[in-house]
Amino acid sequence: MRFKIAVLVAVTLVLQRVLGMPGMPAWFGHLILPMIWIVAASLVRKERHWPYEALLLGLAWDLLFGPVVGPGGIAWTAACLSLYGLASVVADRSPRAWAAFGAVGAVVVILVQRLAVMPLGLASFLTFGQLAWSALLTGLWCGFVGTVLALDLGKHWRAYQVRTLR
Amino acid sequence: MSRTHVLRTLLVWTLLELLAALQVPAVGGGPVLFSWLRTPVEPVAMVAHGAVALAVDLGLGARGLQRAIVENRQMRIDLETLRARQILLQADLAALREIGDFAGPNAEFDAGALFGRCTYRDLIAGTMEVRTARSFILAHDTPVVSAKGLVGRVLRSEGRRHWLQLLTHAAAAVAVQTEDSLVHGLALGTGSNALTIAYVPRQAALERGALLVTSGGDGIYPPGIPAARVTRIRESDGPFLEVTAISTADLHATRMVLILPKWAPAGSGGLP
Repeated sequence: MRFKIAVLVAVTLVLQRVLGMPGMPAWFGHLILPMIWIVAASLVRKERHWPYEALLLGLAWDLLFGPVVGPGGIAWTAACLSLYGLASVVADRSPRAWAAFGAVGAVVVILVQRLAVMPLGLASFLTFGQLAWSALLTGLWCGFVGTVLALDLGKHWRAYQVRTLR
Repeated sequence: MSRTHVLRTLLVWTLLELLAALQVPAVGGGPVLFSWLRTPVEPVAMVAHGAVALAVDLGLGARGLQRAIVENRQMRIDLETLRARQILLQADLAALREIGDFAGPNAEFDAGALFGRCTYRDLIAGTMEVRTARSFILAHDTPVVSAKGLVGRVLRSEGRRHWLQLLTHAAAAVAVQTEDSLVHGLALGTGSNALTIAYVPRQAALERGALLVTSGGDGIYPPGIPAARVTRIRESDGPFLEVTAISTADLHATRMVLILPKWAPAGSGGLP
């Protein structure tokens, strides 16, 4: 299971890289695909430990997308911790919650990463529109995944097979 | 979220930030991390440098202050010395004027007279030391006067230093007379400021306060120099009055004297 998740995380990162490739729509850059793993960890997991996985995810993010290694680890662990805290006070686990958690995680990641690179002199210009776009698209992405999980397509597929075998 | 989680989070974030700072080059070269490390050290170094400079300045200031105090003290001493010299010079000038006023009308005093400064006096012993500007060998018994009257005679002369016998000396004697030359006597020293006027006849018309001047009869002092003023007159069983006088020369305060070498008695030598 762990290996499967690691492969899927790698796939998300690769997809994120693809979204930023030349020729792709510009608004794809606002979408943060790996955020789904942080949201899922906060909404699905029953037992929560310190987010080492988020740290690894952030460092991988830095390796692939950042100028330096380090701020991504801070940002992603901060997002994971904030979503853990949010999940402990929010009982809703519906797709809307997934979307909201994704938006909040995106905002936290972007802001914390900008704060972390600010002392290094690497902070770039950030507008509220960019932040809102990222929150919106990431929220939609997470909401979509939450919706798929809520629909439980595997269950319906298995029921369909059972009906056709009769 | 427990306290351990918070501390762990902060530690991990700090390490990650330091890791990132190690990768970013600073403006002057080297990682940003090094400039961060220099940031807290540089103010301390600047403060230390400033403290050292302040200590050096304070040391130099203290040294300069000490030098200024010493110079100020020396200047004060010099100023006091100058003031003392000024006072002495003023006193000498006043004495010289007095002596000039005294000697001026008497041409015989003015010719060949020497000025001397009193450097030591012993009124009880009746002696005085006088210094002249140049070296002279004064004859024994050379008369010495001041602006206010007769002082005494030269006992010994050695270069610029001359020792006098005051007229108040116990062994001194001066022939005196009244200003009208009607009464003659002999002023004898008593070892104090008082003089005894001997050999004044009982019928002499002498009054208290009368001025006695030298008569020249002793062959030492020139005539006409104020010598004493009568303070007491008593009749006695003898043929003479008991007359007491005091010296007109203010021997306590005399600073300048006039030496009259031309009036030295014949046969006692003179100026070289």
